[in-house]
Amino acid sequence: MLRAVSDTPILAAEISNASFAWPGGRGVEDVSLQVARGQIVTLLGPNGAGKSTVLKLLSGEINPDRGSVHVRGRPHSPEVRRGIGLVLQEPSTDDLMTLEETLTLHGRLFGLRGAALRERSAALLDALQIGDRATDRCETLSGGLRRRLDLARALLHEPELLLLDEPTLALDPDSSAAIWSALRERAAAGAAIVVCSNDTSEAESNADRVVIINGGRIQAEGTPSQLTANLRRDALELEWPDASDTDIAALQAWNEIGSVLRSADGLHLNVDGAVETVPRLFQQYGARISGIRIRESSLRDAWFQIVGVAMSDGEEVS
Amino acid sequence: MSGALLAAWALLARDLRAVVRSRSQLYSSLLMPLMLLAVLGTGVSSGLAPTSPRIIDGDYTSYLAPGMIAMTALFSSTFSSAGLYRDRESGLLRALLASPHGAPTIMFGKALAAILIGTVQALIVLVLAVVIPGIDLAWQFGWLGGAATVVATVLLLNVMLSGLSLLLAVRIKTMQGFHLIMNLALFPLFFLSGAFFPLDQVPAWLEIIGYINPLTYAVDLLHYASYADSPDGLIGPLIDTLVLGVLAVGMFAIGLRRAPRAF
Repeated sequence: MLRAVSDTPILAAEISNASFAWPGGRGVEDVSLQVARGQIVTLLGPNGAGKSTVLKLLSGEINPDRGSVHVRGRPHSPEVRRGIGLVLQEPSTDDLMTLEETLTLHGRLFGLRGAALRERSAALLDALQIGDRATDRCETLSGGLRRRLDLARALLHEPELLLLDEPTLALDPDSSAAIWSALRERAAAGAAIVVCSNDTSEAESNADRVVIINGGRIQAEGTPSQLTANLRRDALELEWPDASDTDIAALQAWNEIGSVLRSADGLHLNVDGAVETVPRLFQQYGARISGIRIRESSLRDAWFQIVGVAMSDGEEVS
Repeated sequence: MSGALLAAWALLARDLRAVVRSRSQLYSSLLMPLMLLAVLGTGVSSGLAPTSPRIIDGDYTSYLAPGMIAMTALFSSTFSSAGLYRDRESGLLRALLASPHGAPTIMFGKALAAILIGTVQALIVLVLAVVIPGIDLAWQFGWLGGAATVVATVLLLNVMLSGLSLLLAVRIKTMQGFHLIMNLALFPLFFLSGAFFPLDQVPAWLEIIGYINPLTYAVDLLHYASYADSPDGLIGPLIDTLVLGVLAVGMFAIGLRRAPRAF
């Protein structure tokens, strides 16, 4: 599908040198971000990195302590909020309402009325493959169907800026595919889409631009291919619990190894070619390596290099 | 109608629908006052034979009826506020607040629903009190004026309780905390409002607490309008209305103003 990304992208949202601290101390520091119309931007980072805070700055739920946030060139206001759609990290449905009623309520809050609201609601439910459940109460929906309803709610008023906090977290492949299909369609129509995620493979497949956040700061950004450009061809995940600093130093001296990172149960290597490196590894350290996983390098490895493998443990990097 | 009013109307409709569908809420708000009327009223009337001049002919059930109308409003308000916490915990409130309308508009819509639900439920208890044999409401100034006063009192009481709920939501972040406050503070205040026993014959310290208690003025006005056969011994409609009106408008306005801090 073609994306409406022009040579001179029109900015849908811009954060300039924004800092925000939560009472507990976490937050973001000196974050700058531009989101163009028609672009899907994924904010990648471990839990607590500051992704949701960036999303809240963009949605206007919080104001920066320093710096500024502009949406369509204007600071947040009720009129600006009219052009923003928000999908929260957790499903935000009322069990006692039907799907139709949920969309009717949110449509009315955004000034939609009558036949236009009914038609738009029905079309969205159909597009997200939940049209047959329109008159069912939300309490009967699975987690995946609730996420689709959340997305329908956020898309109902055709926002120019769509913000989603981990929209496909723990969903089945069908639900994830339905959600990404709707997002790509909306981006093709010119909306700017910002997605918080821990899922590097989804980001690699769907994002026009990836922003890696860690410790409240933007660590890297670019297209998935830009972020992976400096990686070697293959990634090796070694189960090697007793790997020492001396072992790591020795491996770093090998020409075919680009990087050596410590993980929870061993080492993560980025190498020129697994076929050449693995025999040599086993020749030297075979007795101490209890397992190995080999795959092509991907955005996941770029993430590892920026965030660190240990930092990523427990995250849904897939 | 402006966008904000339409938004408030949409929220009002949603909350009303939720209450109708949540039958346990609907029934329990009504059942407790009716149970107290039937059991406590009959038991005290026949078992303790109260002699206070404020309890006409020792008929405690009838004396209890106006207090039960106020209690229904209190129960209903508690449930509506619990709904606010449920919406906050489910994330729905955050989704609503992402709309172009500010927190005061969202909270206004929800508060309107709470006020309407509380008022209708309290008036159902009033109607039941009128039709149940054995409950004698005096309507000293005629039933029309009395009923209008009861409706106005119940409305003011619900507005005040809605404002209080908003203020509590600012300070108390969990539903458990909210229920704790309701149990520890509001129910004792209700017991000391004159709903269960006249305040003119209790020890001075209890009487002082009673007159500091805002609920006392609502219960007094309800007694004045529907139960008492003379204004003797009552605080009176002027002071009652003034205290209740000021508190209702004040609490509601402050509650709406501080609503954004509740999230």
